[in-house]
Amino acid sequence: MTRNWKIFIALLAVGVVIGLISLRSLHRRMARLAQTQVTEEQARHEVLAPPVSTPTDVPVKASIFWAGGPDGVAPVQIELPLSADPVQRSRQLLHALIADPPTPDQRTLPADTDLLGFYILPDGTAIADFSDALSTETPSGILSERMAVNSIAKTLGSNVPGLLRLKILIHGQEVDTLAGHIDLTGFFDLSPPAQQAATPEPASAPSASPGAALPKAPAGNAAPPAH
Amino acid sequence: MRNILGVVALAFGISVLVPLAGAQAPVQQGQQGNQQQTPQTAPPPAQQTPPPPNLTPAPVGPIIVLDPAHGGTDTGARGQNAVMEKDLVLQMARGVKAELERQGFRVVMTRNDDSNPSYDDRAAMANAYRDAIFISLHVASTGTVGSIRTYYEQMSAPEVSSAGTANPAGKVAPPPVSSRVNSWNDAQRAYLNASRHLADLMQIVLVQRFSGSEPTPLGAAVRELRSVAAPAVAIELSSVSAPDPNTLANSAVPPLAEAIARAVSALRATSPGGAKQ
Repeated sequence: MTRNWKIFIALLAVGVVIGLISLRSLHRRMARLAQTQVTEEQARHEVLAPPVSTPTDVPVKASIFWAGGPDGVAPVQIELPLSADPVQRSRQLLHALIADPPTPDQRTLPADTDLLGFYILPDGTAIADFSDALSTETPSGILSERMAVNSIAKTLGSNVPGLLRLKILIHGQEVDTLAGHIDLTGFFDLSPPAQQAATPEPASAPSASPGAALPKAPAGNAAPPAH
Repeated sequence: MRNILGVVALAFGISVLVPLAGAQAPVQQGQQGNQQQTPQTAPPPAQQTPPPPNLTPAPVGPIIVLDPAHGGTDTGARGQNAVMEKDLVLQMARGVKAELERQGFRVVMTRNDDSNPSYDDRAAMANAYRDAIFISLHVASTGTVGSIRTYYEQMSAPEVSSAGTANPAGKVAPPPVSSRVNSWNDAQRAYLNASRHLADLMQIVLVQRFSGSEPTPLGAAVRELRSVAAPAVAIELSSVSAPDPNTLANSAVPPLAEAIARAVSALRATSPGGAKQ
């Protein structure tokens, strides 16, 4: 082997070593970059939907309505630090509704949903402004959209006194439907008597025996919403 | 004597001629009245010439307006392998229509192709009939596969009604014109009880035919129902995530048609020709 060949092989070996070191370094940098992106996403999420805490927060047993039961949503009692201020209290409740479902199957709102704004008008109207994710990521269908709206309305109605009705906006705009089915152009009733009308209790279970004659359903048992 | 015979003959003549003249008069009037609409002469009495045996009786009862939801660019729920709610509900509606018509019901559809009529156009189709029943068909994204649920309209809380109250846009809302005038947006409000009754009747049959279904219907602010001035329900089958949604939709047609037929008949029996609460 000539001297030139030895030098060539030595340089090649040095190049391989440097390449391996660079590759590891590159890999570490990419991992750091990916970690940074997640952190930025979390930071953006936190800016848009900050965990609200106020000096008046006190631990309260709150009823949060997640998926469950024949009616679509059912209350789950959890202890939350809630503010005495109704706007802050509502934000805290909705944040918990989005972020803390007990199981994935009980989720009613998409995980990416952000609460962009929440206001209460003097007449008791609550206005909740959600990000596009609520509309684009809620599964399309009467069942799933009704569940999403009812979980919001019942959670607010059960835990925030003084709210009478709810308007849902998507990115600051009124939209026709949530995801193609449930009407968002109107208001959802939050007052206690109308809450029962918003999701009426199931009527007495009718006879389901095959071939049974149709029982006469009681006419006029649909409680109309409050005027 | 001759006078007596003359009087008797005159009385006999009058007694014979007057009924004949009286019997002809309505026919003439009827013929004159029908000339503009139907040039044919009035049909003979049924006892003399019975109708042809293959002539089916004219359908009676309400018009059933079947509404296959979505269409066009609005696909509705989407499953795997490009399965779309808009196609499944159209397939179901065509099958249900054929089955109901075979039973003598009058049925129209809000769409029979891949068009997407607006919500108002769909409602207008039902509102154009004096006696209609509106049934919107859906297939969900979620829910127990093979189960089905009927929904009646749950009207949203009305806007602030006091005269002169400013709305969020800053404009002053006028006072209500009259409580007896139904707003297009609230047309369903007058039919809430009838719709609830129809939904009850329908779900009673459906729960027997679709395993895993709940026995009672639910209220929901379904957009299609809001402007319908007639008993109106939405029926949603679960779901597009079934292993074979097309087979599921096809198998749903006979029990769905049966439920609609029985519920409509029962509704008519309890509130014939009427629907408002």
